[in-house]
Amino acid sequence: MISVRDRARGCLLGLAAGDALGAPAENLTPEEIAARWGVLTEIERGGTDDTEYTIFAATVLLRHGHALTSEDVARAWREEIVARLDGPMRGAGFSELGTVEALRRGLEPPLTGRWHAHGWSDGLAMRAAPYGIFAAGDPDEAARLAETDGRVSHTGEGILGGRAVAAAVAVAMTGAPPGEVTEAALRAVPEDSWTARNLRAALDVAARTPRSLLGRALHDTVVVAHYPWTDLAPEAVALAFAAYAAGGGEVEASVVTAANLGRDADTTAAVAGALAGAGRGEAAVPARWAERIGPVAGRCLPVVAGRDVRDVADEIVKGI
Amino acid sequence: MPSGERLDRVRGAFAGLAAGDAAGWPAARHRSTLLAGWSRRLHRELDAFAEEHQVTTLPVPFALNQPVAPLAVGPSDDAEWLAWTALTIREDRAEAFGRLAGRDDLRARISVWAALDNLAAGKRPPASGHDNPHHFDDAAAVRAVAFGAAGLDPREDACVTNAEDGVLGAVAMARAVAALVDGAPMADAVEAALGALPAGTAIGHAAREALAAARAAGSPFAAVPALDAAVLDHVYSYGVAAAQTVPIALALADAAVASTGGTASAEAFGAGVSAAACLAAVADSAPALTGALLGCAAGHDALPAAWRERVRTLAGCCLPELAGTDLLDIAGRLA
Repeated sequence: MISVRDRARGCLLGLAAGDALGAPAENLTPEEIAARWGVLTEIERGGTDDTEYTIFAATVLLRHGHALTSEDVARAWREEIVARLDGPMRGAGFSELGTVEALRRGLEPPLTGRWHAHGWSDGLAMRAAPYGIFAAGDPDEAARLAETDGRVSHTGEGILGGRAVAAAVAVAMTGAPPGEVTEAALRAVPEDSWTARNLRAALDVAARTPRSLLGRALHDTVVVAHYPWTDLAPEAVALAFAAYAAGGGEVEASVVTAANLGRDADTTAAVAGALAGAGRGEAAVPARWAERIGPVAGRCLPVVAGRDVRDVADEIVKGI
Repeated sequence: MPSGERLDRVRGAFAGLAAGDAAGWPAARHRSTLLAGWSRRLHRELDAFAEEHQVTTLPVPFALNQPVAPLAVGPSDDAEWLAWTALTIREDRAEAFGRLAGRDDLRARISVWAALDNLAAGKRPPASGHDNPHHFDDAAAVRAVAFGAAGLDPREDACVTNAEDGVLGAVAMARAVAALVDGAPMADAVEAALGALPAGTAIGHAAREALAAARAAGSPFAAVPALDAAVLDHVYSYGVAAAQTVPIALALADAAVASTGGTASAEAFGAGVSAAACLAAVADSAPALTGALLGCAAGHDALPAAWRERVRTLAGCCLPELAGTDLLDIAGRLA
């Protein structure tokens, strides 16, 4: 029997392991990854913004619980991110700095998430797992909390990506099979949305494509050809869920599949790892990966320096 | 048939847009696509050279052993996409764009390319414009000048390539141009545009901030630093985000008329377009949109003759079939 605490730890360790494994493969193509590593299976360096923003989101959530408001999140950004910035913002995406500038301008949510045009980024999806842990078994509440957070920094499809991840983690926390987990993600977003269309298409490809052809097939299905970045939530979420489904919900298989797809590989592998880790628990995260996951450095968010995802997981479970 | 005044204002919108398009620094970059590919490869190599040697000003773009005309001041992407829109305006918009899908000789904004790929993959509007990383850009706002001039709703067209602020920007531009073609003063046209831009959207918030900033500054040129601060956050070079370019165009058109005696004129046109071209981050299309509003208000015949002549013949740098086409003729046929 896997306890809720085991699942919470599995979720955040899976996320941190995916973040670290995928980091060197970010922005590479599946072909470039294959040429460099064959298959990328070993963590080479530390995690990135995915893990640190996840810890930050969990910290703010634990202060307010189900009463969390977007104003609470905006205040935390102002006091703990903006106020500590005395130079460049490290390791974040355009949506984070865009949000910081909107907050500096004195705007309030939801305008802070709309002012910059990167509202569809995967920056909410990457930090949404704690909402699923906290609202384990209640995907609607998990999605609502993720959206509450997301209104500060995102809009539209960016919020939908966060809703999908949070709802899916909430269901994975019950030990449900991957099919039910991916179904929860689809139920958390409107049928007529880019996220839903990409999720359905990517899951369909994952179900019928041989492993050797999966990377190219997924790219052809959800990657926008004439756009130079890899930060679109509808793309990243679709790749992450397809990797999780193709990996059968196993932590190592899901995370390795996601990381080897390239694109925003740290984020897609982090999301796949969060889903699989919640489903299979701490013991299912490969030991050789888990021992590489220690306290975060605070390279992206100094306010979370020294925090360990295991402790964060335990605190969320105590807060349930 | 429109009255002479009406026709003059429609032609003024087109010529004004083309003049603004030509005035922004990116025009030469767009027009340089008419030169051989190897010359642009050298541009890229010279970029690396500049970085390596820490030099500031390089001789790009250049024409080596090729015609020099593309690098002269002249209309570029926005004038051509406006002309294409006017020529196809009575057609089903998804069908008109569908004919472009699969072509490899076009130059277009990211929103348009993503939409063409979506159409080719079987996605219909509005998904073609929504499932689109640059749904927020002003490609549809530029095309909306044609819809406004014809007194038509731009939404069906806008939804093919854009969504949200990208569509709102198109509606705002079409409303303003339609009001100006009807003879409304600039202040009324700007109000009509604002009515299409909810305050809770980025484009609606930016439009109100930009108008206030430009009015406080007193003249378009004086407003340049204030508009830079009010609308641009400089986190990311969107260049053509509708939430930036449409508000700047509305604010500069408004300030240009207000600061030159309250009536649209060649002087107001020059002041507004010049100021827009000074905002380097949005110089690709903000001068064009500003020029469309001020050119429409003043009417074609009131615009500086040298500009009218210089911008009426299209180069074909984005839509090759338009090379040599007379923009004024196309504008006239809209009526």
